[in-house]
Amino acid sequence: MSTIPGIVAINTFREAVRDRVLYNLIFFALMMISASILVGEISIGISRLVIINLGLSAISIFGLIMAIFIGVGLVSKEIEKRTLYTLLSKPVRRWEFLVGKFGGLLLTLTVNTALMTLGLAAALFYVSRSFLRADVSILVAVYFILLELALVTALALFFSCFSSPMLSTLFTLGIYVAGVFSKDIRDIGILTLNPVMQGATRVLYYVLPNFHNFNAITAAAHGESIPVSLIWQNTAYAALYVALVLIAASAVFSGRNLK
Amino acid sequence: MSGQSHTRSLRFALLTIPVLLLAIVWLQTRIDVDTRTIAQEKEELLVRSAPLLKKLSLGYESLLADIYWTRAVQYYGTNVMLPGHKFELLWPLLDITTTLDPKLIVAYRFGAIFLSEPLVGAGRADLAAQLVERGVAANPDDWHLDADLGFLYYWYLKDYEKASAAYLEASKKPDAPVLMKMMAAEVAAKGDSFAASTAIWSEIFETSQDPAVKKNAFQHLQSLQAQQDLLALDKYAEDYRQRNGRYPATTKELYETGIISGIPLDPAGIAYVFGPDGKAQLDPKSPVILDKAAKRSPR
Repeated sequence: MSTIPGIVAINTFREAVRDRVLYNLIFFALMMISASILVGEISIGISRLVIINLGLSAISIFGLIMAIFIGVGLVSKEIEKRTLYTLLSKPVRRWEFLVGKFGGLLLTLTVNTALMTLGLAAALFYVSRSFLRADVSILVAVYFILLELALVTALALFFSCFSSPMLSTLFTLGIYVAGVFSKDIRDIGILTLNPVMQGATRVLYYVLPNFHNFNAITAAAHGESIPVSLIWQNTAYAALYVALVLIAASAVFSGRNLK
Repeated sequence: MSGQSHTRSLRFALLTIPVLLLAIVWLQTRIDVDTRTIAQEKEELLVRSAPLLKKLSLGYESLLADIYWTRAVQYYGTNVMLPGHKFELLWPLLDITTTLDPKLIVAYRFGAIFLSEPLVGAGRADLAAQLVERGVAANPDDWHLDADLGFLYYWYLKDYEKASAAYLEASKKPDAPVLMKMMAAEVAAKGDSFAASTAIWSEIFETSQDPAVKKNAFQHLQSLQAQQDLLALDKYAEDYRQRNGRYPATTKELYETGIISGIPLDPAGIAYVFGPDGKAQLDPKSPVILDKAAKRSPR
């Protein structure tokens, strides 16, 4: 088993920390503190709900921004700085480099998410002075967000293997939005009553990454339990999709002329 | 040299930034005055379609619902102070909030108050009932919403049948207090639905373990029986008047003229009497207590 992806991942993580990526946590902390204090003053009966909704949404949005904007630069930055050539002149295969980069960013996102979750827990405790048994759903929702971020990171990395950071950002964002609306795309096809259209939209529904699967924020906010079957199904779905995208990225990247 | 230059630019920044900030604040206050004279700021709701907003929220509909609910509270709070308030945006705001998060129970409950109150609200109990009905459909296990619906139908819309049905529905839900069943019976009686009221009070009487609740149910059953008897006696008294030109003084007179086949007794076993206006009454000696809701208008 090669240790190279692990080494690349650790270095990618260190680089992200050096680039002060985790500074977004300060903004997150300030936002949670303000929300905890303010919401009780300006609304009725939703202090707890707002903390959970705002916390989980912020974890997701901050994570998405990081996954997309850092993800699209993972390869291009190495090419620009010419560090990739040094790296590839050593016994490092291109797929190992890609998997390492993916792992590094995922590690960064995991650390970031874990710290934000702690902040969310602190704010929740401040507002309600206790935790409920149903709050376990919040952890499941955070886990789903992480799965979503893994998928977005893989997509950003894939696009960055063959296009500029700007285009990669647009492509990744486009796929993300299409993935959120995949069910609607299928439903539009059904509405047309055209068999070809119905077939096409159905194919799109299954081919596009279904980001709606990972949305458990509302359920977590209302303390609803999330079925264990959904947890493993989502885990398997994300793992399969990430594997698919990374394999495709490796195939594209291995054929890329870096001269 | 570069150190000196850095210190100089730092000093310059420290001096100029506060001055510029003050100038900006002053300018903004001027702009505010001018824009206020150009057009009165009017509250608007740009997107009124709740389903569209749900799609546009990209999965963050819960957070958006919290924002819209806060907006609804703020809108209500601001407008309630104004003379001749109209609350035009209240329903759209509540509609959007509850479509974005159908489980946001607080929005149905407080939203219904904002909508229904005639003096300090929109005075639209019909919309409030519609809102709460949606809440009941989305949260079938929550008895509070059925209870709220019952109240709206009872208090504002005076639809006692629907109010009773809502209270009865609330009583069937988990953790609902026994009071809900009592309310259903009480409200049904007010709407003269004696059969429904009697059935509900009978069930409470038979199933309750609490002696106080049992006694209360028994008293209500007695009251219901008496109310039905009194209504029937009123009709017989009218028949008597048409035949004899006057109302009967006692139930015995009705019996003697053959209008009734026996002397009716109240649930305590005491004969009913007639008042000077010809209306049937409980004997003052009777221990049976009539519900306040059962008071009938005089002839």
